[in-house]
Amino acid sequence: MSAATAARPVPAVRRPPAQGYAGLATMVRLVLRRNRVRLAVWFVVLVGMYQYIVSYYRSVFSTQASLDDFARLSDTPGIRALTGLSPAASTMGGAVWTKGWMTVVLALAIGVVFLVTRSGRADEELGRTELLRSRVLGVHAYSLASWLVNGVLCVAVGAFVALVSIGGNLDPAGAGVNGSLVLGASIAGIGLVGLGIGAVAGQVSSTSRGANSLGAGVIIALYVVRMVGDLGNGTLTWASPIGWGQRMEPYAADRWWPFVAMLALTAVLLWVAGLLEARRDVGAGLVPERAGHADAPARWASPLGLALRLQRNPIIGWTLAVVLAGALMGSIVDAMTTLIDDAGSGAQDLLRGTGVRALLALLVSMMALLTLVFALQTTVSLRTDEAAGTIEPQLAGALSRWRWALQRLVIPAVWSAVLLALGGGLLGAVYGSSVHDASQGGRLALAALAYWPAVMVVVALAVLLWGYVPRLAVPLAWGVMAAMWFLTMFGEVFRLPHWFLSALPLAATPYLPLESVRWTPLVVMTVVAVALAWAGLDRFARRDVQPA
Amino acid sequence: MSTNEMAVHVEGLTKSFGRVHALRGLDLHVPTGQVTGFLGPNGSGKTTTIRILLGLLRADGGRVTLLGGDPWSDAVRLHRDLAYVPGDVTLWPNLTGGEAIDILCRLSGPLDVARKRAMLERFELDPTKKARTYSKGNRQKVALVAALASRAPLLLLDEPTSGLDPLMEAAFTESIREVKAEGRSVLLSSHIFAEVEKLADQVAIIREGVAVETGTMAQLRHLTRTQVTVALDGGVDGLATLAGVHDVATSDGHVTFAVDEAELPTVLAAVAARGPRSIVANPPSLEELFLRHYGDELAALSAGATK
Repeated sequence: MSAATAARPVPAVRRPPAQGYAGLATMVRLVLRRNRVRLAVWFVVLVGMYQYIVSYYRSVFSTQASLDDFARLSDTPGIRALTGLSPAASTMGGAVWTKGWMTVVLALAIGVVFLVTRSGRADEELGRTELLRSRVLGVHAYSLASWLVNGVLCVAVGAFVALVSIGGNLDPAGAGVNGSLVLGASIAGIGLVGLGIGAVAGQVSSTSRGANSLGAGVIIALYVVRMVGDLGNGTLTWASPIGWGQRMEPYAADRWWPFVAMLALTAVLLWVAGLLEARRDVGAGLVPERAGHADAPARWASPLGLALRLQRNPIIGWTLAVVLAGALMGSIVDAMTTLIDDAGSGAQDLLRGTGVRALLALLVSMMALLTLVFALQTTVSLRTDEAAGTIEPQLAGALSRWRWALQRLVIPAVWSAVLLALGGGLLGAVYGSSVHDASQGGRLALAALAYWPAVMVVVALAVLLWGYVPRLAVPLAWGVMAAMWFLTMFGEVFRLPHWFLSALPLAATPYLPLESVRWTPLVVMTVVAVALAWAGLDRFARRDVQPA
Repeated sequence: MSTNEMAVHVEGLTKSFGRVHALRGLDLHVPTGQVTGFLGPNGSGKTTTIRILLGLLRADGGRVTLLGGDPWSDAVRLHRDLAYVPGDVTLWPNLTGGEAIDILCRLSGPLDVARKRAMLERFELDPTKKARTYSKGNRQKVALVAALASRAPLLLLDEPTSGLDPLMEAAFTESIREVKAEGRSVLLSSHIFAEVEKLADQVAIIREGVAVETGTMAQLRHLTRTQVTVALDGGVDGLATLAGVHDVATSDGHVTFAVDEAELPTVLAAVAARGPRSIVANPPSLEELFLRHYGDELAALSAGATK
């Protein structure tokens, strides 16, 4: 970082790095104190999850034959796309990797972005950094402290996953523990890349929300890039640091050099972040604040109109994301179809029929998951507006709470349907154009729209939480979403009863186009959504407005 | 007085947050067409009261009438006729001040563009800057311009001048005088005695959730004492024993003491008989009244300091 440039003449606009780290020790203690619970939760959840998968797979796959079965069954486009497939999937280590690795690295990288923003851009936006820097505190001390602490988290998660793997005897007999060490390094490496991405995002964006969206967005983009690579010939996989981690191939090739590449990338990203931090003003981003309009259009006086203006960027961003995802996924299906066509043979033709439809159903459900994040983000903004206090001047106007909340909920309700239809439709249209089946666009748009009631159930649950436990609503709502996603992925690992798992909103939706349409779950979920939302809004209209 | 003559009528208002009793039976009246000062130290319940009047919080007990309606259940109807300035103004960080003013004005009724321009000019506010770049004083101005640009019959102002410079405080005083001249009602919560003294027709002093003193400025002055300083050659003999005289102190031939309002004629006659060379009499200030009600807190503070 700065140390590398210290020997050269220092430009006038830069501050001498020697002063840049004054107060580092105090800042490390501050970061640890403010984040101790979060750090512990991320560590325990990620390492614990891996440990659980290890012990579960140890008990389930007792013979080599069962592992061979697992490897054969896992060799599907869906698994390749979602989690990647270990080349050693028929070994215990490879099987566990296939199940758990991608989740751990994604959660770690995105979690680290959020943690870096929390001590970085968020504090700067709220003015706490200004207060700290008025004391004897170097320009880089707070950032560096946060990077150090979060870097230690990444290394600790990697090290303990490696320990868990060694403890679970995941390495092939006689191969030592190299595989487990490669595994741990790949996890720590991707976590560190996430740290670098979060650090740069926190310098570029002038708001914490912007920094989180930018950082998480880049990581998700890297995930999608490797997904396309894994489904194709593998070239694109190398374009993503997540792909580098995959290609370390623990328990198979056991490559170390991609880890060095990840460390180098992290160093470059942190160096860039440090450079930006040394040059810019406190509170500023890369783009200076411009003057705006002196007047507002009349439509902004309605809660819906104002929310559309304030949430313009997320709405456009999510719409673009869904359009891109739809087009990208559509083109993947095309490639898969061609691949399977080449394979030929009658039996495989039969398999292909369901195989392609299973892939389509999986992609449609991923579209639903993407839409769900958008819907939840726009729904929890009701609480964040209440917490920030911007709700009060509005309610001090001639505006009822019901009208305020209902208009705000129009965005998640209507735009989720638009996103589902758009994403599913594009997926179908792009896929359909390659197989000369124009009906695919409409069919998959409807298949995706079938997830609308499920998305609304989660939205309504967030509204209910907001009504009854406003201060806990935002973390609980995201927690519910994460838990649902987690249970859908890993529910069977935790031996939860089948009826419970299939009652989760996303799972209760008919798996179109693989399954046929069933109206009962859709109607039931719509009724449940209306009831939950009504209960939440009724409570909100009767309780005190509670700022943070 | 009937409710028609009362813009705000609060009786026995209680509100608790968990085990904290923010309001314990507050009485407050804002007569129509008058400015009512609402004085109290931090945490005495002023903001809680105003948030109840806005229907943001629900009263636990007591009677609250605002413009003849219930601030909780008739919130929407009543809010067409009131304007509110919070003590801590929160705006949308990525909207400009001008945009925020338009939104707030239109939420209560049609926007009066000419009036908005006039108020922007009076408060020297640049409406094209993003709210996140405003200082505290400028955020306060946004809320003030939005409230004063309306012609609402009732203004609820929660420490509206916090963060304003003296020139802007003068602009505020001018605006409130105009509001009063138009026959509109104002509830003005404040720490600044001079401001309340200048503007208020009547005052309520709140402490720990109860009104400890209410009345017109004239009525309250009856409760307090005039501060008199006289230069006496004849000495102070006998002065301290007069009825209504308190806190006599002498330095360099100057005698200072406080006189109860009711005893002022008698005491002044007694002073005149002693042949004073000069006399200065200060009218009782609201500050003094305020200090009297918090005297024990001040005493506790200074006792703590000398320990």
